[in-house]
Amino acid sequence: MRAIVPIKQILDPTGFAVHRRLERIFINREDYIINPNDKNALEETLRLKDAHGVEVIALSLGEPRVDDALREALAMGADQAFLLTDEAFAEADAAAAALILAKAIEKIGDYDLILTGQRAMDTGASQIGPRLAEYLGLPQVLEVREVSGLSNGKLRAKRNWKGGYAEVEVGLPVLLSIAPQANEARYPHGARIMNAYREWEISTWGLADLGLAEEELSPLIGLRRKAFPPERTFGELITGAPGEAAKELAQLLREVGSWKLESGG
Amino acid sequence: MDLEYWELLTGEAIEEEEIVCRDIWVVAEVKDGALTPISLEMVGKARELAAALGAYVQSVLLGEGLESLAQELIHRGANGVYLADDPRLVEYHLETYAEILSGLFQAKKPEIILFGATELGQELAPRLAQRLGTGLISDCLDLSIDETERVLLATHPVYGGEYFHVSTFLGAKPQIATVRPGAFRLPFADEYGSGEMEKIAVNLEGIEGKVKVLSVSTGEAQPQVPLSKARVVVAGGRGLGDAEGFALVEELAEALGGQVAGSRGALDEGWIGQERQVGLSDVTVKPDLYIACGIWGDVHHYFAMQEAKFVVAINKNPEAPIFKVADIGIVSDPKEIIPLLLSELRAG
Ligand SMILES: Cc1cc2nc3c(=O)[nH]c(=O)nc-3n(C[C@H](O)[C@H](O)[C@H](O)COP(=O)(O)OP(=O)(O)OC[C@H]3O[C@@H](n4cnc5c(N)ncnc54)[C@H](O)[C@@H]3O)c2cc1C
Ligand SMILES: Nc1ncnc2c1ncn2[C@@H]1O[C@H](COP(=O)(O)O)[C@@H](O)[C@H]1O
Repeated sequence: MRAIVPIKQILDPTGFAVHRRLERIFINREDYIINPNDKNALEETLRLKDAHGVEVIALSLGEPRVDDALREALAMGADQAFLLTDEAFAEADAAAAALILAKAIEKIGDYDLILTGQRAMDTGASQIGPRLAEYLGLPQVLEVREVSGLSNGKLRAKRNWKGGYAEVEVGLPVLLSIAPQANEARYPHGARIMNAYREWEISTWGLADLGLAEEELSPLIGLRRKAFPPERTFGELITGAPGEAAKELAQLLREVGSWKLESGG
Repeated sequence: MDLEYWELLTGEAIEEEEIVCRDIWVVAEVKDGALTPISLEMVGKARELAAALGAYVQSVLLGEGLESLAQELIHRGANGVYLADDPRLVEYHLETYAEILSGLFQAKKPEIILFGATELGQELAPRLAQRLGTGLISDCLDLSIDETERVLLATHPVYGGEYFHVSTFLGAKPQIATVRPGAFRLPFADEYGSGEMEKIAVNLEGIEGKVKVLSVSTGEAQPQVPLSKARVVVAGGRGLGDAEGFALVEELAEALGGQVAGSRGALDEGWIGQERQVGLSDVTVKPDLYIACGIWGDVHHYFAMQEAKFVVAINKNPEAPIFKVADIGIVSDPKEIIPLLLSELRAG
């Protein structure tokens, strides 16, 4: 059985600071990481490898540096990796990215499962998974907390649903998006890290390899500008002994509030 | 616009390409027999957008026995409601819902379609955007119309809300957006508001749900008033130390007639469930009064409560960033302050 895991490399958010008043983003350290939630998708897939011998293929669309993310995936336990990179991919929006990934998935072929993250931290979009499923004509199960069974061409999963869970069953092939709460992703294996750079070949595919034409990737969505949340003004501190402070606060709440204060209880 | 009527008037048949995309569509959601608040919030916002476009607000409902809900959508501002009334639609299945909606949208050619950024919206909106070959902007916190170009502008969080992108559509129609619950106010109900209801033919031949639901279990108790609507929210964080400390937050919330919420810290400690975690990916609140007890106040938390009208912070660490966003701050242990505050409040 074969599972394909699309992973995204993103700018490490701990390396930049947002200055609201200046409306600017200061990049202190330009590091790139695997979208944390995609590690959950990879982990869930690696568990299927451990339990059922599923072959795990990692796939990433991005700049050539995305190679690092794929080698990390290999070090974690993926069996093969594909890098989708081309100057023509640079402006890809969700629709274009889904098309590129879908073409690559078709080219890899013979898959039973596709596992994506529930959402990429940078875009927050939760679009790529369902778009892929629609393009490939697959059923989808989103926000999966646990893949609880895999047998006879059927998969069982527990997904977030209406504040609780639903246990569902679906035939293969299927696309799953994995919730961040699903698991703790494993660390890359020491020996495999060394091998990741020495032994593994990562195939790279561009526009022509995927049989795509540049016009097919025209973006549907464009960025107008960035916006920043307003800075809040500093408030007042109540100092003094706890008893006094509580008294003052109670008084303030009565003055400020149009809310109903219930006595007793 | 009724195209047949147009054809009658002008005597000319309209070519497929010439059909202009018009109207703003809201995909309403039903839960436990009632419309979800986000459905109504979207209708309210759609009215504003429709005024800028000179368009109508249409809504669509899927399920069974939906007339009274359709009436409510009309009272809240929808000009028309399409009903897909069929027992096969009572249970949600992606395949059937997507079939009905894509058929409807292909026939009616909306200019804009709004879904809630809910489980249902996240299931359906990207699949329909893909099927209709169009763009989608997810999880919008604000929407407006650029009138010179007649396109939708959407503000949505990036990096979990560190900042926002204002994005727009580059031509393809319909323009689809999912809208964050609680981002817009509920529109007033106007009992005299009128509009049209139309049943649509439900043809699901050969279409069936591919995901079988074996069992559903409810999660932790849901807040009685949705947190996003609560006027008073008392939230606790790890600074309360233990479950006993957190119980003080519950007591204060009760005394103030408010709702209990918490930070990630409180969630991690198991004092609250996810449905009470204040955060951009969980619950955005905009109460009149927000009391943060033992909460550090990182951006992740702050973004989700920044629209609170009045913020009180109680934290023993004067460095806590929550003080920067508080109208009133008390640098003290909340476990000491809350009992004192309660007795002051009760003393009247
Ligand atoms: C990607 C991402 C998304 C996130 N999303 C959210 C979100 O949506 N909502 C959210 O709330 N957070 C979110 N967080 C976490 C957020 O950054 C903070 O870590 C979290 O809000 C802190 O919770 P807290 O204030 O309860 O706890 P803390 O920061 O741990 O502590 C609060 C206060 O209590 C004190 N304190 C800590 N431990 C104790 C103790 N044992 N006894 C007594 N005092 C103590 C501290 O000094 C501090 O003043 C997110 C983080 C990441 C990385
Ligand atoms: N450039 C990319 N390369 C590979 N996978 C991606 C890429 N972008 C998104 N994905 C996958 O799609 C999921 C959802 O992304 P998004 O729709 O942007 O929230 C991610 O968690 C990844 O699994």
